[in-house]
Amino acid sequence: MASRDEPPTLHSKRSLTLRFNIPISKTSRFWTGLAEGKFVTTKCGDCGRLTFPPQADCPNCMSGNSKWVELGTEAELLTFTYVQITPTSFVDHDPYVVAIGRLKEGLNVLAWVEGGDPTRLKPGARLKIETRKEAEGGPYYVFVVTP
Amino acid sequence: MKNVAIVGIGHSKFGRRTDVNLAELAFESIKEAIDDSGVQKKEIQNVTVGSAGGWYEENLPAVIVNEYAGFQDVGTMRVEAACASGSAAVRSAYLSIASGEADVTMAVGIEKMTEVDTLTAVELMGRSGSYLWEFENYGMTFPAYYALYAVAHMKRYGTSEEDMARVAVKAHHYGSMNPLAQFQKEITLEKVLSSQVISWPLKLYDACPITDGSAAVVLASEEMASKLSDTPVWIKGIGFSSDSANLSKRGDYVGLRATVDASRKAYAAAKISPKDVDVATCHDCFTIAELMAYEDLGFCAKGEGGKLVREGQTEVGGKIPVNLDGGLKAKGHPVGATGVSMTVEISKQLRGEADSGRQAPIKNGIGLVHNVGGTGHYCYVTVLSRSK
Repeated sequence: MASRDEPPTLHSKRSLTLRFNIPISKTSRFWTGLAEGKFVTTKCGDCGRLTFPPQADCPNCMSGNSKWVELGTEAELLTFTYVQITPTSFVDHDPYVVAIGRLKEGLNVLAWVEGGDPTRLKPGARLKIETRKEAEGGPYYVFVVTP
Repeated sequence: MKNVAIVGIGHSKFGRRTDVNLAELAFESIKEAIDDSGVQKKEIQNVTVGSAGGWYEENLPAVIVNEYAGFQDVGTMRVEAACASGSAAVRSAYLSIASGEADVTMAVGIEKMTEVDTLTAVELMGRSGSYLWEFENYGMTFPAYYALYAVAHMKRYGTSEEDMARVAVKAHHYGSMNPLAQFQKEITLEKVLSSQVISWPLKLYDACPITDGSAAVVLASEEMASKLSDTPVWIKGIGFSSDSANLSKRGDYVGLRATVDASRKAYAAAKISPKDVDVATCHDCFTIAELMAYEDLGFCAKGEGGKLVREGQTEVGGKIPVNLDGGLKAKGHPVGATGVSMTVEISKQLRGEADSGRQAPIKNGIGLVHNVGGTGHYCYVTVLSRSK
């Protein structure tokens, strides 16, 4: 990193790569649902609170009695951005559009808008959630713009 | 609670500081703050170090910093509240005295962000949300989070890219008068508007830079302050709050709930209202953040942030001068140092010691520090006063 005009630095010869194993056992139904093309989340069996992202324990009444419900996939675009400077681990990706959409159930979801022309997107636009599978096999979800 | 005064302030040059390591950089502020206070180092009973960390080689910054400065047997810890870590450190040092535990304490803010490459720093900041749901599959960045707020604010209130650009022009104007600022050059509206888009609608000049820097304050009880200082600055109230980690859990994207709540608590603790404030620092990590801060702190009505900056009301001579040190935008934003740096700046303003051209007129003797952590994940609002 040092340029000619800069003071000397010691470029450490020890490098560190961090790759985390993230526990998902309590929300595995969400990920298997995505793989089946379904968009599901948790609903508290006691107080009825819907949560997204899904979580096993209710943040409202603290009950652990959650059940899985399927969500509608239509959303209204609340806000978005076109990410042109991407982080190191996304350096091979083309720039992407990220949006927050509001589902009919009142829950917000953050995801990429696939194939959307960022110069024509506007808050209020109608979106639909679709499930996808990465090249490496991991399922994820995106928004697509509906006419 | 006992009265607590700021009796010593220290501030390093901000910028790309490849000439110093973490401890050397912290030492610059620590020495200056101790000299300014007149206390003996051994009188300082505890040292709280605010640092977000992750981008420099040390894992335990508090003890590294203390060892180099020669602190022995002090109580210490590193505190983390993302970009508000510095204010969290000030609060910890404040509480130690307010509770009667100690008579003299120190808060240090330190960050060394240029030891990793820029895109790695972008990655580490982008991971500051709810990792699995925002980063793993969607690669959020810090500018992207604030861009989501900018688009919603533009849609709801008609705020323009030009309104946001005016915040950057103001920041650079005052940065040009601050010898400690990373950028000391004026910029034009055209330059901001034509700069590279990083996450639309935010452009390079809407964003604060990646910065190395430190700042420190010495705090004292009323009894000690009366012996030490002719110009004590009193901490009248601190409000702090938080909001969801995951942005999608928030109700709207036109303001920061954590700022509204923290400021309400701070105003109540200090028994003041927004109109009593003579001068403020607002957390302008992005230009849109400063506009939202004006509104959320009650300096103007919701949606009128753009109008306030357009009318020049946040400049010297305006209704409420904001970020006369150049703000995060021009002074630089060494994450963990920022809250302490803001506290140093408002202390200077209240003492009447700001550099020529950037001193606010002080009428009520009251200044405000607004320090946000993450994307409104944390917020600290600190009210400072010339009088007890």
